[in-house]
Formats: sequence, C-alpha cells, structure tokens
Amino acid sequence: MPGLFDSLSLATRAMQAQQAGVSVTGQNLANVNNPAYSRQRINFQTSDPVPLVGGIQGTGVQVAGIQQIRDSLLDGQIRDEGSVGGFWTATQNALENTQAELGQFLDGAAASADGTSSSTSSTAAQGLSTQINNLFSGFQAVAADPTSLSQRQVLVSQAQSLAGSFNQISSRLTTVNQNLNTSVSTDVDSANKLLSDIASLNDDITKTEAATGSTANDLRDLRQQKIESLGNLTNLQTSTAADGSLTVTIGGVAMVSGSKIQDTLQAYDAGGGQLQVRAATAGTALALTGGSIAGAINTRDGALASLRTGLDSLASQIIGKVNSVYSTGYDLNGNTGANFFTGTNAATISVNPNLSADPSQVQAAGVAGSAGDNAVALSLAQLAQQTDAALGNQTFGGAYGQMVTNLGNSLSNANDQVANHDSVSTMLAKQRDSISGVSMEEELTNLMTFQKAYQASAQIVSTVNLMLQTLVNMKST
Amino acid sequence: MRIAGTSYTDSLVSQLNFLTSQQYQLQSQVSTGQRIQKPEDDPAGMAQALGLQTDTAAATQYAQNISTLQTGATTAYSAMQQIKTISDRAGEIATLADGTKTPAELQAYATEVNQLIQQAVQLANGKNGDHYIFSGTKSDTPPFSATTDASGNVAAVTYQGNTSVSQTEIAQGTTLAIDTPGANTTGSGPRGLLADSRYGADFFNHLISLQKDLASGNTANISKVDQPALTKDEDNLIYQISNNGVLQSRLDSAATSTSNLQSSLQQSLTKVAGVDMTKAITELSQAQSTYQAALSSSSVLLQLQQSVLVYL
Repeated sequence: MPGLFDSLSLATRAMQAQQAGVSVTGQNLANVNNPAYSRQRINFQTSDPVPLVGGIQGTGVQVAGIQQIRDSLLDGQIRDEGSVGGFWTATQNALENTQAELGQFLDGAAASADGTSSSTSSTAAQGLSTQINNLFSGFQAVAADPTSLSQRQVLVSQAQSLAGSFNQISSRLTTVNQNLNTSVSTDVDSANKLLSDIASLNDDITKTEAATGSTANDLRDLRQQKIESLGNLTNLQTSTAADGSLTVTIGGVAMVSGSKIQDTLQAYDAGGGQLQVRAATAGTALALTGGSIAGAINTRDGALASLRTGLDSLASQIIGKVNSVYSTGYDLNGNTGANFFTGTNAATISVNPNLSADPSQVQAAGVAGSAGDNAVALSLAQLAQQTDAALGNQTFGGAYGQMVTNLGNSLSNANDQVANHDSVSTMLAKQRDSISGVSMEEELTNLMTFQKAYQASAQIVSTVNLMLQTLVNMKST
Repeated sequence: MRIAGTSYTDSLVSQLNFLTSQQYQLQSQVSTGQRIQKPEDDPAGMAQALGLQTDTAAATQYAQNISTLQTGATTAYSAMQQIKTISDRAGEIATLADGTKTPAELQAYATEVNQLIQQAVQLANGKNGDHYIFSGTKSDTPPFSATTDASGNVAAVTYQGNTSVSQTEIAQGTTLAIDTPGANTTGSGPRGLLADSRYGADFFNHLISLQKDLASGNTANISKVDQPALTKDEDNLIYQISNNGVLQSRLDSAATSTSNLQSSLQQSLTKVAGVDMTKAITELSQAQSTYQAALSSSSVLLQLQQSVLVYL
C-alpha cells in the first residue's frame, strides 16, 4: 500500500519536475537574442503507475525529455538559400568593385550642347569613352590646321591621357582579379576550419547522445549554425546518420563523415595564377555551383575576364589601326614610317615618346614636303566612324559601350538576384522563427505556470509532513 | 503565425534599410538630375548615352572645323578683293595706253604697272595665322617669288606652291576644301587663282608683258595681246571671288545644321539619362514620409513589447 512516504516522494518528484521546467524556461529566456538557438520544450510524462488493491494508482510526474523545436526540412532550405545568397552577394560585390575600378560614369554636365561648359567645370574623372572621343577630336583638329604646332601638342597630350587611362584601368582590374583570388583562398581556409569544427561537433554529439540517451540540443544548434556558415561559402549536401552525426558532401566528394574529416578543400593554381578549388586528398576538381567561393570564381572568369579581354582587344585594335594609317604619313620634317602608339594591349599602350618632345614629328601629311597636307590626319580622324570586324563590327566607341553595357547588365542582374534572395531568406527566417524562435510572452507565462505548480506540490509536501507528524504523535499520547 | 521575439526587430531593421536605400537613390537622382549615373542603373541606356556623348563631341569638333574654315575663307576673300582692284587698274591702264599717249605718259604707266605687280605679289603671299593661303598644301612656302632685273623692274614671278588642297570634315563623311592654289598649270585639279592653263589666265606674266610693252611703247601689242589676256585674268578672278562666296554660304548653312544637331543630341541625351524631376521629388517625399511612419510605429510597438514584463 503506498504510504505517506510514497506521497512525499511523489510530491518531491513533482517539485523537481517543475524546477526542471523553470530551468528550461530560463535557458530559453537567456537565449532570446541568440539567432542560432531553437527553443526547447520540456516534456512531462506520468511516472509508472503501481497496481494496488483499490486500482492502478499513479506515482506522479517525470521529465520525459527536453525537446528541441526545430524543422529540419526548413533548416535544409535555409542552408541552400544561404548558398544562393552567398553566390550572388559575392558576385555583386565583385562586380561593384569592377564597375568602380572601370570608372565609367555618366556625367550629365559634361555633355552640354556646345561643349564649351564641359571639361572646364567638370572635376569628375573622365571615363575611357570621353578620352577615345578626345583622341579622334585631336586628329580632326590637326587635320583642320596641319601646320599648327599647338594643335599637335594637344593631340599628343590627349593621346597620352587615353594611353594612361588604359594602363591604369588595366592595372586596377588586375588588382580586382588578385583580390578575388585572395578571397577564394581565404574562403577555402574558412571552409576547412568549419569542416573540422563540424567533425568535432559530430564527435561530441554522438558521444553525448550515446551516454545520456537524449538529444544534445545545444550542440546540434551549434552544428547547424556551422553548417549554415559553410553553406554561405559553398553549396553542400548533408545526410544524417543513425548515430546523430552529419555527413557533409561538397561537389560529390564526402568531406566529413562521422567524426572524421575525409577530405578538405584546396585552392590550387589552375594556370596563370587563377585559383580553382579541388578536393585535397582525392585531387578531383570541384565544380561548385553555390556559395561565395563559386561566386568569386564565376565573376572572375566571367564578367571580369571578358571585360579585361575586351579592353585589351580594344587597345590593340586602336594601336594597330592608328599605326597602320599613321606610319604612311609624313611629318613636318619630311620623315615617315614611325608609329604613333607603342605597346600591344591595354597595360602597355603608350604614345611614341618622341612626339611629346617634338610635336612637329606628328605625321599628318600624305606626301612629303607639303606642310599643309592633312590627308593622313583626316584618315586617322575618320577611323572613329569605321567599324572593325575584330570588335564585333562596331566602332571603337561602340565596342567600348558594348563592354560597359555587358558589365552593367551583369551587375544589374546580380542586384536583382540579391534582392530576390533577400526576400526569400527573410520569409524563410520568419518561418523558422515562428517555429523555433523564443517568444518572451510565452516563456514568461510558462514561468508563472511552473512556479504555481511548484507551489502546489510544495503544499502537498507540507500537508503530508503535518500528517506524518500527527501519525508520529499518535504514539506518544 | 507565431511571432517570436527576434523576428519583429529583424524585419524592422530590414524595412528601415530598404527605405533608407530608396531615399538615398532618389536623393542622388534629384541632386544630379540624372537617372543613369553608373552602368548598373540602366545598362542599355548607358551605352546609348555614351553613344550620344560621342556624337556630341564629334558635332562640337565639326563646328570648330567649320569656324576655322570660315576664318580662312574670309581672309582669302579679302585678299582676292584687293587683287581684283589691281586687276581692274591694270585693265584700265591697258585701255588708256593707246596711240594718243606720249612716250613719257607710257613710261609713267609702265612704272605704275611695275608697282602693281609687286603689290599683287605681296597680296598673293598673304598669310592666315602661320600659313600661306595660296600655296596649296605647301603652306609653309610663300606662293610667289618675284625676280627683278637690273633696272628694278620685275622680270619674272614664279609659283612655288603646289596644286593640292587639303580637305576638312564639316560633317560625318562630308569634307570641304576652301583653299585655292595660286596657280595651276598642270591642266587638272582645282582652278588656280592667278594662273590656270585651262582658262588662259596667267596674271603675272600678262602684267609683265604689259609693263614691257608700255616701256617700249608698243601700244599695238597692248591692245591686241595684253588687253584680251588681262580680260581672261579678270574673268578668272571673278570666278574665284564668287566661288568663295558660294563656299562661305555653304559653311554658314553647315554651321547652322551642326548647331541644330548639337541641340537635338542634347535633347536626346536628357531624355535617355535625365530624371523626371517632378516624379523623382514626389517619390522622394513619399519615401521620406513612409520612413518616418515606419520609425514612429515601430517605436510604439517596441515599447509595448518591453512592457509585458511589467504586467507579469
């Protein structure tokens, strides 16, 4: 027959259960601002009843477990969305950097109708488009006044500005390229660190869960946070093993399996200093499709590379076309055959150094000995309207405009994708918060509930205590 | 849907960010008057705008070329007018120098014609800035050089220039040459100013011949050979002067059409890249008031959130 002592222990167990409830509530409230935390819920269960003469009698309450409220499907979606977001954010950053270094902005004040109020007041850096225009205007001015040494000087100085711009832009874009390579390398290192963290968390989780028989909620939260950070860097697939550990696969190669790191990521030089990513031990090149590593590589080899190639090709066509017409001309001293531009591409284009020292060496005439002959200068000026098959059948200005449009399109697309990603990830985060987030009102109400229940069980203890005292005092009287 | 503690503040932060960036974009459009500043704002529009800027730069250069040519044409015109005056006087002398004049008077005429020749050489060697007008493309060489004999009379005038003229672009694909070579005895090419074998003009030689005939008193030759020859020179000069007038009016109309082109390019550029001020300012004030509404409503709700502790 269950005696008073059994009732006492029933009440004690109840008080302990409510106390556990309070500490779980305290844990939830403490982590209300922790974004990686998913709320925990205490589950009560009646303890095993005992069969008695009068019937089956209950023995109170026990803590069945502390459950983590988490939707693993949603977690997977958020992680995948994070890869998409990482990819497009990295792309957007790289392209914005490229756009800034190209330096082609539209300055409305510099396009006034008569042109006279433009360059004197505009302090904005002149983009390549304006400088290409200036070069051919310079040729026109020399053609209109072939004997004027000052017009020739202006031409040479405008050509030097153009060549200087090409050189600077080329070197800045090379820096952007190097920065992207550095970011790939840094991200690969971060990813490897996260892989080793996940492996050690796997180890902790399996050991803890095997030892205690219940889920290691906080460790799982931490592991999920690491997985999401890794997802920002690269796309990955996960699968949960029976012992609670997570297998991480990147690009088809298993990286983490159980508590062991099977493989790591490695950034290697695929040629010309351009880094690609492969599995370190297996050696297979990984084709990543999401995350900031893939975003950086994609931009570097896509939009940035085509811009740099385009600029080199434009510079080389300008050099070639101008030189081929120019070298047939005669300067004021009757000499011919020299080149106007030296160099082969955007990084090396430069004006023949003799011309700035002695502008009379500009070969503007079509025949020797006629100072007023401007046939070559006129042909050079008319090059501006000629289309070039090597530049996609466009003029120099048109080809450059096409490059700017392509860059603008890529960046505009990246902006749209980032905005899309932001709205999707905001909605997913809201969904997750509604499931796993801590609501202060709810927790504080629970706190009240557990406290009242504790008080009630404490009343039972004091009542049973009084009854025991009465019982014991029966003997003495 | 259950709202947790952090989701409220997170969405508030992102909404405020969005409104702030919207205001920033509109503000920068309003203050620069441009809808397109960077390639990402409107990639196709940016390429179009750059093309329009290139066209504008070309049109500006054409306008400057036209202006340079106009200066050259006016300078040439004034020289031609003065040479015509000399030609008129020479023709007058040729008519007056008939059999009724005394040898002394004929000598006086001969001296005057010598002066006229030297004046004409000086005028024909006129410059525009740093180059000679009537030398063709050899504009660093004086066109005519006169050699005098022992008695100070001009014996011969030789042409040192050439017969090529330089073309200048006044519009896309259109070039114009306004130069006139001083003499063209090759039989093809631009018409010479003072000598052209196709039209029988040879001003200086005819003047020298007149001077010699006057000095030797050969009035028969003057009326039979010199006078008709000088008439041909005069016709040639008249042609050149009226041709110069035609070129100048061509330049004027080219200047007008280039200026019209510049205006229409500017309009197109504003249409492509400019911002509709009214719309932008309206949107900006809307964005600002939305931002303020978001701030004030969120501050009220945040206070409510915290006060749940008070009630419990």
